[in-house]
Amino acid sequence: MDFLKHLYEGPGILTFLIAFPLLGALAAWLVGDRSARATALVVGIVELLVSVPLFFTFDPTGTCPQSVIGRQNEGLPFAFSQLTVPFQNCTDAPWFADWGIHFRIGLDGISLFMVLLTTLLLPLMVLGSWTYIRDRQRTFYAMLLALTAGVVGVFVALDMFVFYVFWELVLIPMYFLIGVWGGKERVYAAVKFFLYTAAGSLLMLVAILYVYFRVHSVTGMSSFSYFDFMNPLAAFSAREEALLFLAFALAFAVKVPIFPFHTWLPHAHVQAPTAGSVILAGVLLKMGTYGFIRFAVPFFPDAAHAPGAVKWAMVLGVIGIIYAAMVAAVQPNAKKLVAYTSVAHLGFVILGIFAYNLIGLQGALMVMIGHGLSTPMLFFLLGMLYERRHSYEIEDFGGLAASIPVFATMLVFAAMASIGLPGTSGFVSEFLVLLGTFKTHPYVALLASTGVIFAAYYMLPMVQKVAFNALRSPANRDIPDLDRRELAILLPLVVLILWIGIYPKPFLDRMEPAALRLLATQSTRLAPPMQPMGDVAAAAPNP
Amino acid sequence: MIILFWFFAVLAVSSALLTVTRKNPVASAIWLIATFFCLAAIYTLLGAFFIGIIQILVYAGAIMILFIFVIMLLNLGNDYEPDIRGHVWKVVAGGTSLVIAALLARAFSGELPAPLGHVAGPASLAAQTADRGTVGVIAIPLYTDYMVPLQFTAVLLLAAVVGAVVLAKRKV
Amino acid sequence: MSFFAALGRPEVLDLARQTHYFWALLPEIVLTLGAMLVLIVDVIHKGDRSEPSRGSIPVLTLAVLAATALANTALFGLRDVSANGMVAVDGFRTFTNFVYLVAAALCIAISMGYLERRGIMKGEFHALVLFATLGMMLMGGSRDLIMTFIGLEVMSVPIYVLVGFDRMDPRSSEASLKYFLLGAFSSGFFLYGIALVFGAVGSTNLTYIAETLGTGTDHGHERLLMAGMALTLVGLGFKVAAIPFHMWTPDAYDGAPTPVTALMSTGVKAAAFAAFVRIFAVAFADAGAQWVPVVWWLAAVTMVGANLVALTQGSVKRMLAYSSIAHAGYLLVALLSGGDTGKAAFLFYILAYTVMTAGAFGIVIANSRDGEERVTLEDYAGLGLEKPWLGAAFSIFLLSLAGFPLTAGFLGKLYILRAAVEGGQAQLAVILVLASLVSYFYYLRVIVVMYMRPARSEGWHAGAGLPLAARTAVLAACVVVVAMFFAGAVPMRWAEQSALSLWRQPAPVAASPAPASLFR
Repeated sequence: MDFLKHLYEGPGILTFLIAFPLLGALAAWLVGDRSARATALVVGIVELLVSVPLFFTFDPTGTCPQSVIGRQNEGLPFAFSQLTVPFQNCTDAPWFADWGIHFRIGLDGISLFMVLLTTLLLPLMVLGSWTYIRDRQRTFYAMLLALTAGVVGVFVALDMFVFYVFWELVLIPMYFLIGVWGGKERVYAAVKFFLYTAAGSLLMLVAILYVYFRVHSVTGMSSFSYFDFMNPLAAFSAREEALLFLAFALAFAVKVPIFPFHTWLPHAHVQAPTAGSVILAGVLLKMGTYGFIRFAVPFFPDAAHAPGAVKWAMVLGVIGIIYAAMVAAVQPNAKKLVAYTSVAHLGFVILGIFAYNLIGLQGALMVMIGHGLSTPMLFFLLGMLYERRHSYEIEDFGGLAASIPVFATMLVFAAMASIGLPGTSGFVSEFLVLLGTFKTHPYVALLASTGVIFAAYYMLPMVQKVAFNALRSPANRDIPDLDRRELAILLPLVVLILWIGIYPKPFLDRMEPAALRLLATQSTRLAPPMQPMGDVAAAAPNP
Repeated sequence: MIILFWFFAVLAVSSALLTVTRKNPVASAIWLIATFFCLAAIYTLLGAFFIGIIQILVYAGAIMILFIFVIMLLNLGNDYEPDIRGHVWKVVAGGTSLVIAALLARAFSGELPAPLGHVAGPASLAAQTADRGTVGVIAIPLYTDYMVPLQFTAVLLLAAVVGAVVLAKRKV
Repeated sequence: MSFFAALGRPEVLDLARQTHYFWALLPEIVLTLGAMLVLIVDVIHKGDRSEPSRGSIPVLTLAVLAATALANTALFGLRDVSANGMVAVDGFRTFTNFVYLVAAALCIAISMGYLERRGIMKGEFHALVLFATLGMMLMGGSRDLIMTFIGLEVMSVPIYVLVGFDRMDPRSSEASLKYFLLGAFSSGFFLYGIALVFGAVGSTNLTYIAETLGTGTDHGHERLLMAGMALTLVGLGFKVAAIPFHMWTPDAYDGAPTPVTALMSTGVKAAAFAAFVRIFAVAFADAGAQWVPVVWWLAAVTMVGANLVALTQGSVKRMLAYSSIAHAGYLLVALLSGGDTGKAAFLFYILAYTVMTAGAFGIVIANSRDGEERVTLEDYAGLGLEKPWLGAAFSIFLLSLAGFPLTAGFLGKLYILRAAVEGGQAQLAVILVLASLVSYFYYLRVIVVMYMRPARSEGWHAGAGLPLAARTAVLAACVVVVAMFFAGAVPMRWAEQSALSLWRQPAPVAASPAPASLFR
């Protein structure tokens, strides 16, 4: 046990979580089409098993040392060459040391859940693709595993260069997943997805470089470190800060996607294979909101807190919630409907982030988790349906409750979780967001709360048309119900949704210190948050 | 001296113009010879007798004869089509030439002091000519300071010969 | 390098003594002798029969290149104390020499099999490639405008011939003629520029020009010098294929045998750029006020224009031609950025660019058949699915050209961006990023076609592939492209040191580095 404890306090575990799927991707590709899926499943399960203890060993107050700009160059003794930062399991290995690029990764209460969500969905996606993907299996599973590695990397990166690399690394496999294994209009959807996201991220790259040079010019040291990017010395003019914030925000807004940058999402979702939709909705979209929480807002607090920015974010968030709900209500295609619900849910996240209080931020994080469980479940269910009937059109179904009752039960449950019925994760999280928003922007909260009603308005008719109504089509009569593999996919999600819905305390406890710290960082504009640099410099003996 | 220079200069430029405007390639070649002669005269006026003679021998003599041979052998000169078609391109070409001409005019219009080089200038040239003779002024730097470029010119010729053979020989 | 010291290499060269040129020019001498050897061996093989050359000729050629690379290592750590040597003895030259050698080796490697298929397997091809490489080394390593010009010609003449090497193919001959005429034209510009610069400054020695321009603020030859710089710029602009001097590029690249295209877009460009750096960023550095705005516009127009035109290309080979024009624009940004970072970024990028472009052309060759080039986009449909290795390699090269993370191209672009921002060229950096965004589209389109469209017909890609040696070379290029991202710090440091050494010519003493002004 000691060994395990040591392992989970040490730095290697995150690197393992990134490297293992990459090696797994290589292995899956090399073993060939026949055993690729089995290999991927083993990799996925191992990845999940390795990551789960993180939840229990996670120490909300944990810290770890990180080298901070210049310290290592001043000839200070080791103890003084580092500062502690509120992250754990940190790795800090020089990569392009001359440029201040280090392989810096670490985990805090926010990234923890994103990482766990990713590792949870990985084996489920492999199972979900078990019979769905028939062509070029080895490439498919290799791409899926590489994608997972990239996503985990995004959530733990603490170096802007490393972050950007992982951010872009996610693009390529996702692009192939949609473009090669997607539906009829897959090429269009894939290219649209790629170009939208690439355009956003290039702007972000320019902004990253800009900040990098500014930090370089004020401190004389090169560093891409997350903490150095918040160096209080590198003050920007209001205009600069607004533009930089905009560059970051645009990259993340495309990914979230915030209205009006959402147009790539329905295409991508509808055309992508089940596993693609699952990871897209489950974690890829969260990369955008995570970016806001972790980078855009703390880096440029003045711009992010400016009344104009908050107003726009709130307005776009509410528009996203209501507009997406209305569009979803008229969709004949069930998958497109679910895609639009993602836009609506992430609108809540935006509200929670820009409410700038603890409840709002925690709510936003909880929506991210809850949505990452309920929407993948819906996509899995639709994928199972598609495998049986080769259709996503709502019209083609009806009365499935009679022919495949287990499926119908699951569908109803997932829909309820998505709407936010009390007792499911959706309720807790959206309630928190609305509460947080109400504190600062009561009218916005009022408007947004109608979104919950809208959710029932689009989701329930869909469930009714698919699962209940009359069993008209004979094709719907003779289809097999869910088998054990499919239940194995769904049940973990059901359990987690209920757990969060009924007893969210373990989750909230783990994210609270991190959320508080982020808010404190913004309001005081101090970096790094725990210990001001001056103290350490003063304590250091001058050689 | 000045009058002579301008005489040959104007002659050189006008025959160069005639070279490129003649429709008959043979006529072009003849005008080119005239240009070379004028240049040779200018070199001579500058005191570079050796280069003047070489200019006539090599260019006007050897190379032009080759040109004319080739032209005659290929029996060109009957079908003619302008290279620059369309008014737009004519305007573009004309404009470009005007700009270049204007730039050159600007470059040369100012007073021209002696070059800055450490050993350059008419006085130093005269001194060196007296010392080494007109051939020596060229030959001695050529085989000392510029030895390396000279050697690689030989390589250039070798490469050119190989290339010419590859392109022209019927069977390689 | 005690090996060369044991052979009698002096520690410090003084090129005022002719004998020291032997050491300063060792790689060039080895290469010249090797090229002649290839010619002679080929003749001995063939006698007076007309038949394809033997398979040992390319192997011999590669051996010559390897020997040259070995000789090139003799230049490590060497410096020259003379005032007016003909060749530069610095790390910059050593670095770029390796780049040319890599380009030539990749060209020879991917030509294996291709030449036989097109019926142009002749030893002269290999000899001419070696001569062209020699020209690149002379041009990029010269310290005298005369020498630059000779190098330019030694490089260009074999390339003119190589472009038209397939005499049976009218497109090849047409491309050759076009390239020859425009190339001769640009050489004329360049030479006239040299003459005017000589007239203005009184010397063709680059170090001397730099010193003169650095000391004398008013030497009364401003306009003459300007005209000379302008004409030199035009001449070099042609060779690096910057817009608006790019007219010959698409046709020449498209018509030339593909290995030659690879060499033209890598080695030739690298050499022209190295000369560009030496002439403009070193010799004319203090006249920057005159040429920087012009080159600024050249860079901007090249990046934007080339990427936009590349969007409309239906042929992959032509698309790569325009992409190489676009990359000339990126390299111009590095050149304009000035400072040591700019030079280092240039060196790093040219190395990455050479490897990835040559590799990409290797895939174009793999997709060609007997007497059929197969370069349209449609011809690539389904390639990634039927030939996973070829598809994966091509994807990596294209992504690297686009500047995507995990490839050398990304790091190279980042390096240039960094240099540009540090050198006060932030606007160019923004243009570069936007141009790259446009380039994503057309590089991506090839990947789309390779993976997301079915092949033209069943078994369309059956014959696609390369002989073992060429496959190894392409694979190695692929590995290098990826490795240069992960272990990029090594070539980066090498590039930095090489760029630093460029400025200490002739090395005075271990003085502190020059102050960080814009161009020094």
